[in-house]
Amino acid sequence: AHYAQQQLVCAACGCVLAEGLLTTTYADEEHLREVAYSQSTGQKEQLSRCLLRGIRRVQDLCKVLQLPTVFEETAVSYFQRALQHPSFHLVSLEKKELLGGCCVFVTCRQHNWPLTMGTICSLLYAKQELFAGVYLSLQKELELSVPALSLADLVTTHLNSFQLFQHGADIPAAFVEDKEKMVARTMQMVELASETWLVTGRHPIPVVTAAAFLAWQSLQPAGRLTCPFARFCKLAGVDLPPPAHLRLKELLDILLRMASQLAWLKVFKLDKKTVVKHIGDLLQHRIFLLKNAFCLEGEEEQRAAGEGSAGESSPSSPAPSGEAAQEPSAGKRQREGGRRPLLPPCLLNPRKRLRTAALSPADAALTGDEPISDSEMEQYLRSPEEMRALRKAKAWP
Amino acid sequence: MDADSDVALDILITNVVCVFRTRCHLNLRKIALEGANVIYKRDVGKVLMKLRKPRITATIWSSGKVICTGATSEEEAKLGARRLARSLQKLGFQVIFTDFKVVNVLAVCNMPFEIRLPEFTKNNRPHASYEPELHPAVCYRIKTLRATLQIFSTGSITVTGPNVKAVASAVEQIYPFVFESRK
Repeated sequence: AHYAQQQLVCAACGCVLAEGLLTTTYADEEHLREVAYSQSTGQKEQLSRCLLRGIRRVQDLCKVLQLPTVFEETAVSYFQRALQHPSFHLVSLEKKELLGGCCVFVTCRQHNWPLTMGTICSLLYAKQELFAGVYLSLQKELELSVPALSLADLVTTHLNSFQLFQHGADIPAAFVEDKEKMVARTMQMVELASETWLVTGRHPIPVVTAAAFLAWQSLQPAGRLTCPFARFCKLAGVDLPPPAHLRLKELLDILLRMASQLAWLKVFKLDKKTVVKHIGDLLQHRIFLLKNAFCLEGEEEQRAAGEGSAGESSPSSPAPSGEAAQEPSAGKRQREGGRRPLLPPCLLNPRKRLRTAALSPADAALTGDEPISDSEMEQYLRSPEEMRALRKAKAWP
Repeated sequence: MDADSDVALDILITNVVCVFRTRCHLNLRKIALEGANVIYKRDVGKVLMKLRKPRITATIWSSGKVICTGATSEEEAKLGARRLARSLQKLGFQVIFTDFKVVNVLAVCNMPFEIRLPEFTKNNRPHASYEPELHPAVCYRIKTLRATLQIFSTGSITVTGPNVKAVASAVEQIYPFVFESRK
């Protein structure tokens, strides 16, 4: 500790009259400056260099991300615990560097602070596969419970990095948008996406980017419909991740189907551009529209079976009522034709997979202990001519 | 649909990995020269030998350890391993077929419904781990069976375990949990 000794000094000649009056009273020490333990030599002497460097890295990361102090303390404690664990103590320096980032990432997730792996990996200049490995083993070894990434918070945070909310030199006046409106509409689009199987199992950021683009276009369609997705991302100062184009297509497909159920839009033949103008209405009535535009597979079968029986019974009944019975069922079938089951996109266009056929009866009766004849094994041996040719070709001794 | 009613689920075994020892040193150059369907990987010190029936790929080390992959049942794996040992015998080595063990079984199973992964993960902590940024499926580990299941939102489940029985038990165990979080 830093300590100053009081000495009694003669005012005339300056010689020391009395010293060594060690005291620990608070009155004597109140003039001393308070030095934090982490900055004094005391901590440096007790902790290893690796641990010190790692703790400093964790603290720097927290400062860069502007995280609250509580996060920093938690992350440092996780880091210290992890480094004492045998599975992290002896790993390469590269992994130890990543460990600090993983601790910060886990802390953020536990406090529902929306930090993505992509952000942390870019701050650490790390490969995502290596980061993923260290993260999963950290979770396992320290038995940490990490809650899921909160999509709502992610929308707010991601949109904060968009540069479309203030007028700037590069941004046309018509492109500037109000932040609150944009966040609200993007949130609704993302909720729609998660209800229609577009979010489960996918990277969250491309979904949010595509939803933000559609929300932005729909708030002022007049000037913005001609702006392509790539240009939007460039103006906003945000990366365009490759899957975002596919997410955009999927979202537009969902919106088109919903629009086909909205009474005042049925007359229009909407396409991918024109449906954007009506996104406000579609989002407002989305619960009703989703129910009508999509159906569960089980319901579809039941209704088809019901229709079949209705169709059979109509010829037997008298003509007018028979026709009346047929018309609504025909109308229903037409609406049914537009409907599609609400499934994850990969199930809608299933790619044909070559699956090995089920075991044939002969194979199923295998025991593994059948005798093996010599003739079967001949096919796995080269003939002498082949061997000679091979020796010559490869010049083996 | 009731979780307790009998639902016949097809579990398709796609890969069985087994090991055995030949209890004798194997000359890899000789196998590469005299054996057909053989690839010699000199840099790593092993030989790959492929059998046609059953369709199996074997990795052979000079110490006499052999790993066989590609079988679709435990019995087929044993037959393939024995055939391989026989072919090594024909090449002139004093092979004794010992320490045969099935080490890993990979199987696929399809549920007749979609699964809400975030809900499933919330209900099944700490066994379930779901990181959409890393992998689209939930990873569920059953410690007692030493089995790992990968559960996709489409209802498709990939199971890996130490033997076929463990894999079947794992699917049986997971069914009620997955049924709870179905769409």
